[in-house]
Amino acid sequence: MFAQQLINGLMLGASYALVAIGYTLIFGVLRLLHFAHGEVFMFGAFIGLNIVLAWSGVNIYVAIIGAMIGTGLIGLLVALIAVRPVSSKYPLAPLISTIGATLVMQNVAIRIFGGENQAFPETMDPVIYHIAGLTISSVQIFTLVMSVVLMVVLWMFVNRSKMGRAMRAVAESHETAALLGVNVGRTVLFTFMVASFLAGAAGVLDGIRTSAVSPFMGLEVAVAALVCMLLGGLGNIVGAMVGGFILGMVEILSAAYLGTSLRDLFTFVILILILIYKPSGLFGTRVVGD
Amino acid sequence: MIFDEFVQSLLVFTGINIIAAFSFYVPFKTGQVSLGQAGFMGVGAYAAGIMTVKFGLPYPVGLLFGGVFAGFIGVCVGFPALRIRGIYLLLLTLGFAQIVQVIALTWEYTGAHDGFQGIPYQEHTIFYVYGVIILLLIFFSRLERSSLGRAMVSIHEDEEAAEVMGIDVVRTKLFAFGVGALIAGLAGAMFAHYLTYVDSRTFNILLGVEILMFAVVGGVTTYWGPILGACFLTLLPEGLRELRDLLELIPLAVTDALPYGNNVYDWLYEFLNFENEKRLIAYGLILIGMMIVRPQGLLTRRTVQRLAFWRRGAASV
Repeated sequence: MFAQQLINGLMLGASYALVAIGYTLIFGVLRLLHFAHGEVFMFGAFIGLNIVLAWSGVNIYVAIIGAMIGTGLIGLLVALIAVRPVSSKYPLAPLISTIGATLVMQNVAIRIFGGENQAFPETMDPVIYHIAGLTISSVQIFTLVMSVVLMVVLWMFVNRSKMGRAMRAVAESHETAALLGVNVGRTVLFTFMVASFLAGAAGVLDGIRTSAVSPFMGLEVAVAALVCMLLGGLGNIVGAMVGGFILGMVEILSAAYLGTSLRDLFTFVILILILIYKPSGLFGTRVVGD
Repeated sequence: MIFDEFVQSLLVFTGINIIAAFSFYVPFKTGQVSLGQAGFMGVGAYAAGIMTVKFGLPYPVGLLFGGVFAGFIGVCVGFPALRIRGIYLLLLTLGFAQIVQVIALTWEYTGAHDGFQGIPYQEHTIFYVYGVIILLLIFFSRLERSSLGRAMVSIHEDEEAAEVMGIDVVRTKLFAFGVGALIAGLAGAMFAHYLTYVDSRTFNILLGVEILMFAVVGGVTTYWGPILGACFLTLLPEGLRELRDLLELIPLAVTDALPYGNNVYDWLYEFLNFENEKRLIAYGLILIGMMIVRPQGLLTRRTVQRLAFWRRGAASV
């Protein structure tokens, strides 16, 4: 029973981790809490769903890649419209404008896709495995493996590629990076795209896992992923991954043993405890500033 | 009543939104940004409701208790909040609002899932609402000229410098946070006794965002800003609906005569219908646009001074 819940927690945690990494990447380069990131995730789920519905029998990878491209563009659009033109003279202005973007995106989604929960059709034959008393379906294994692969790819990208190095340089200091020949503006936009790729993929995987998609899923995940990012430390990519898995476990375990209504309470009690006692997160903040 | 029912309810909700926007404005004076004012509204609504429903106390007592209790909770939340700023504080207040929601959802005493029902209707809400607004305006205009008000502004500008100058930063910030929570509690209590029903979803994140919007769009450097912001954003959908009624006055012969007249008419008619999603999309666009064009809000301290100067100048001529 306990091990079974741990596996469920791992699945939920994988979703959170992918979104939290996006938050932390954007926070790293811009010191910005990108409030609308959860909505990018939601759009990813809907794009994936509509690809699956439009071509029956389509390969699930096509849906995931399609959603990633779509959300990449949406993320770019948000950065160009709601973040770039906003003056950074007022420290909260960019944050507030992404809150505006959240309102726009959520309600545009309601208008386009309707305000109801939509079922995500089965895209693969679910095979149920019984291993040592645990029940795991192939769908669960697929979403978990996909999430981990995406995280590893991102990790390689940030640490091994030229663009990744530019991102790390910009996160360190915009001025120094610019002096060293990094195109800061382009790197920031690119970071938004990478973060949105991950959110889009996470959205589709979440749709497959829970077999339901709704315009309101964005805000829920956004708030949970924010907690994950704080748990791991702002701007810390590995921290966000671990934070995601920890929160996923905590939520599932508290829901299983204490009832679902207390699940959210736990999330926010964790949030507040961290904010008060360890604002730098479990693994340390990678960025300076308050 | 002097007004018909619709106008009255519109005035009441505008007034409650103004008070809610003020509750954001006070902590902001010391640089504390809160997304959790909806949570304090919830605390006030439930506390006042318990007083009037469960203990049968009169409305003013419930109202006062709702405000004071929310203020007390505000000070309790404000204590840990003193150590953190910026986005950390924003997240803390967000977390607080969520916890309030979960408690409202699970507490059997106040109806849990079914919501808090049977709160007595207060028909004179409109007088209470505008009475509170007038009291607050007097309070703010006094505060502006007091050493406490100046201390608040200086903490906003630079906390370290303010501390060096001998300002009690801890006390001032706690005071601001507590007063903000108290004002939100009053707004919540009046809201509950006007709708006669509240549940855990009434005071959600979206309401917190809307309260922030009222203040930020109007401008947070002067207390006239939240009033303007709340009025503008609350009345915008209604104003557009009025425009729609004007549109209906155009005779059919005119639209028939114009090329595409009917199509343009239909489109305009549909466009002006600002219900739920469309209203929120418009709010979002306004918020983004404001942050790009005028991040300091519609009204700033300087525009208010200039307006006042202009008025005085005109009077002396």
